[in-house]
Order: sequence, then structure tokens, then C-alpha cells
Amino acid sequence: MSGKKESGQELIVSRQILSIPQRFSTGPVMGRFLRELRDNQRIMANKCPQCGRHQLPPREVCAVCHVEATEWEELGPEGTVQDFDIVYYSSPDPLTGETRETPYVLCWAELDRTQGDAPLWHLLDAPDLSQVRRGLRVRVVFAEERNGTMADIKHFEIIK
Amino acid sequence: MNNKNRDVAIIGCGMSKFSSHREEVNQPEMVHEAVVEALQDARLGMDDVDCVLHGNMELFEMVHQPDMWHVLGSGAWGKPGIRLTTGGTTGATLACAADNLVASGLHDVVLAIGFEKLQEGHATGGITNMADPLWGRSLQTGALTGTTAQKLIEQFGEERAKYAAMKMRTIMDENAMRNNKAHRRLGLDRKHMKETGAGSPPLVGELRLIHMCSQSDGACAVIFTSEEKVAQFGSNPAWVVDHETVHREETLIFSTGKSTHRVAAERLFARNGITDPVHEIDVFEMYDPSSWWGVDWLGEFMLCNKDEHLRMVEQDSIAIDGEFPVNPSGGVQASNPIGATALVRVAEAAMQIRGTAGDHQVARPVRRALASGFGGTLWTVLMLLSKEKP
Repeated sequence: MSGKKESGQELIVSRQILSIPQRFSTGPVMGRFLRELRDNQRIMANKCPQCGRHQLPPREVCAVCHVEATEWEELGPEGTVQDFDIVYYSSPDPLTGETRETPYVLCWAELDRTQGDAPLWHLLDAPDLSQVRRGLRVRVVFAEERNGTMADIKHFEIIK
Repeated sequence: MNNKNRDVAIIGCGMSKFSSHREEVNQPEMVHEAVVEALQDARLGMDDVDCVLHGNMELFEMVHQPDMWHVLGSGAWGKPGIRLTTGGTTGATLACAADNLVASGLHDVVLAIGFEKLQEGHATGGITNMADPLWGRSLQTGALTGTTAQKLIEQFGEERAKYAAMKMRTIMDENAMRNNKAHRRLGLDRKHMKETGAGSPPLVGELRLIHMCSQSDGACAVIFTSEEKVAQFGSNPAWVVDHETVHREETLIFSTGKSTHRVAAERLFARNGITDPVHEIDVFEMYDPSSWWGVDWLGEFMLCNKDEHLRMVEQDSIAIDGEFPVNPSGGVQASNPIGATALVRVAEAAMQIRGTAGDHQVARPVRRALASGFGGTLWTVLMLLSKEKP
């Protein structure tokens, strides 16, 4: 290609901002989970009739056994931290473009009565970062205003 | 692979210069740099190419059908082609597809092109938008996580784990200093590893800026052909022995059970009679987006027990003149144009076999080389290459 820059040539960069309003269908299974969050402040998982493991997020079939997961059970709202991330880098929220205050904590907590490997992933409200560790007991706190999204869970709080 | 119709070899590799800002060229011009270099390396012209594969992650630059825009640079005008996009593994998937297309007999000469111009989009936003929009999108922080650092610290103690992560980072930089295509060539000094690690801004947990890969602009092109054409062209071949792809259901959690890396390695090695990978493979180009992952994944891919992988890092086995060189190119920690990155691993592995890696050619003779790709929500692709025809 003869794409050689001429001496002193300004190389123009075209700047564009994309904004895309999106609507995602949730379906009857994930939709039921979100409705339970919004209306009843309950964490409902579905369960595989074959292997007995819970699925969070709930989905139509067991990912391991490939059979329909038709039973529903309430888990938590208390649980135990399995893994956590203390986030210092202010990654913009792709839903809103807003940047979170840092540092903040994300954790994977196994809710009480969970069968199998299905921790719930959410923010952890931890004013003292040195308290955050695996095995920490936590409880789900629901948002006051709920719209049927994962933001209906405000965060986990540490059980004193 | 046991049931190939015919053998397939890599006979040409090309790369653009990798950099954080390639503002002096547009996308087709950048792709063109890699394509021209690959054709020259193979001593072929565009008329010899039967099929062009093109891949990247559309959600980074938000350009859909970039293969249409790139056609002047890619040379694909009027040729059969396929566009592929499988996340970070895109480049490795391109290599697998090229191998399959030639092995099947559908095409004789396939040009695979991977590219990314991360400067033209938002990489962390793009990766975040790969998360399930109903479940994880509001929580995902791109590809950043500190859980592997925490796991290694718990397994091996804070001092030893942090040393291993910085040692690996420094070896990668030493290699990048030998590779004039590499994006980040920092000149890290082994004497100051501890302070360099401690003084680097934390991203997530103990994952710090110094450990993490770059966001790069760049393109890679690799030419695959059949055993008949290798003889006809008189090419310098790196033969494709086999490849393996392992992925898992997105929300099946990753904290327990075997990693896709280990499963892929076990399958590939079993199928090819490899029982002692560290001694039976001569060089490994690993897709390691951070040095914490690099240390941990070395153990997964090489099926290590206990602290074998830490010792390989501590004792310089993975250095360019070591007994098991890892990423003589400087790897992903030095350059990460995502849609090209996994194809660069395959290209670099092929270059080591073909003896064309220049200043970063490893010291030991290379008969077998392994390349890995990583991406999506914990996907793995492995490709095994050899100097001898399989």
C-alpha cells in the first residue's frame, strides 16, 4: 500500500461515541428468579432432579446432566465467602458508563442450603478491607427499590 | 489428530509491529503489514492463496464485518473465506480452522488473519459485555481478577508466590527486549523485582499493573498448506500435529474442579503419546494475560504436581536459554492485540521450529512446540507443532 505519511501531514483521528439502548428477554426460568427477587426478596435456585445440585443463576437444564431442572428451592439469605476480589481499578459499569468508587469488594458466597458448586457473585459491603477473608459469614441485603434485575440485591453484608 | 486426510504445515508467518497506538495506520493498512510479511516469508503471492480466514473481537472496536473493510489489506477480494470470533481464543480458533480446511482437502493454501486495534475501542468494556447480561454484566471487571494471586499466595506463601509472579514478568520482559515487534519492552531489572512489584499500582487484590498484559494494536497472518504443496513450493514447514479445544458452560463456576487448560493438555498429550511434556516439548508459547496466571497455568498445562511449576520459574528453566523456554517472544504480557494474540502464539511456535525467530530464537534445538489460546469465559485451545512430518 502507498500509505506513506507525507512530511508534516496531520494524521486525523475520527472520534465517535456509541450509545446502544438494549432490552434482553429473561425467559420463564431466569424471569422467575428475578421476579422472586423483586416481589418477595427471596433467592430462588432451581435444582437438578438427577444429581441434586442447585443452579444459580437458574437455567432450563442441568449443565452437567442435561436434564430439565424443574424443582425450585430458596437458598440463603445467609452464606459463606468462598472467594473474593478487592478491586482497586475503576472499571466503568458497562450498563451505565459510571465509574464505581474504589476500592470495592466482589465476592462469591455459597448461600446456606446450596447443594453443589453454585456460589452467588455480588458486591460485599466491607468498610474494613482487612476483615475480608474466605470463610467470612455474610447476608444478602436487598435494595429498597427493586426492578427485577441483579441490582435488586444491593450487596452482601458481613454478619457481626 | 488420528483421522486427517493429509498433513498440514505452516509455511509463512507475518506480524505487524505491536504498539499501544498505531494511529499512523488504519485497520486495513495494519492488517496489510502482517499479510505482506507472511506472503514474503512463504515466498508466495496472493494468487497462490485459496481461502482467507479473518478474525477478531467485534465488540472491542464495534465494527461489524471488519473483513469487508479490510479487504484491500487482506487480499481477500473474490476469495472464499470465513470470519471467526471466539473471544481471546479467536487467533487459535483461526489456526484450528485453517488446519481443518487444508486437512479436509477443501483448500490447499489458507491464509489466517487475526487482528485487533484496541486503541480504537474499549477493551475492558468489551470484555465486560461478554458476561451474561442478566447475571454478571453489572459485576464483571473486564478480565481483571486477583483470585489466582490469592490462590498462589495461599498455596506457596506470600513471599515465594510474589517472587514467582515478578520473576515470570521479568523473564517475559527480557524476552520482549529481544523481539522488535513486541509492544512493551520495559527493561526490567532482576535486581529490583521486589520493589518493582510492590511499587506497582494494585488493580484487583495482588494483581498489579506490572503483572497484567497490555492493550495493543496489531495483526498477525499465518499461511497453512498441504503436504503436497509443501513439496511443490519447497517450503520450510512447521507441521501441525494436532489441536484441542475445551470450553465449558458460561455460568458453571470455575472455582472448583479441573481447569479447561488441564483437561485440554491431558487430552492432547494422551492422543499424541506425550507422557512427560516438559521433556518432550521444546518450547511453549502460552497465552498468559498476567504473570500470576502465567505461573499458575504453566502448572496446569504441564500437568505439574505440587510446586514443580514454581521451581521452573525460580530456577530459570522457562528462560530463553533454559531447558523449557516459555514465550521467547515475550508473550502476552508484552503484547496483546487480542484477536491476533492467540494466532501470534501459533506463529511464534512455528517460527521456533522453522528457525526464523531471529534474536528471540531459543538456544536449544526445537523439534516440538506447543501454543495455547485462552479466552471467552475460560476457554482453552492448544496446538501442537513439529519439525518432522507427523
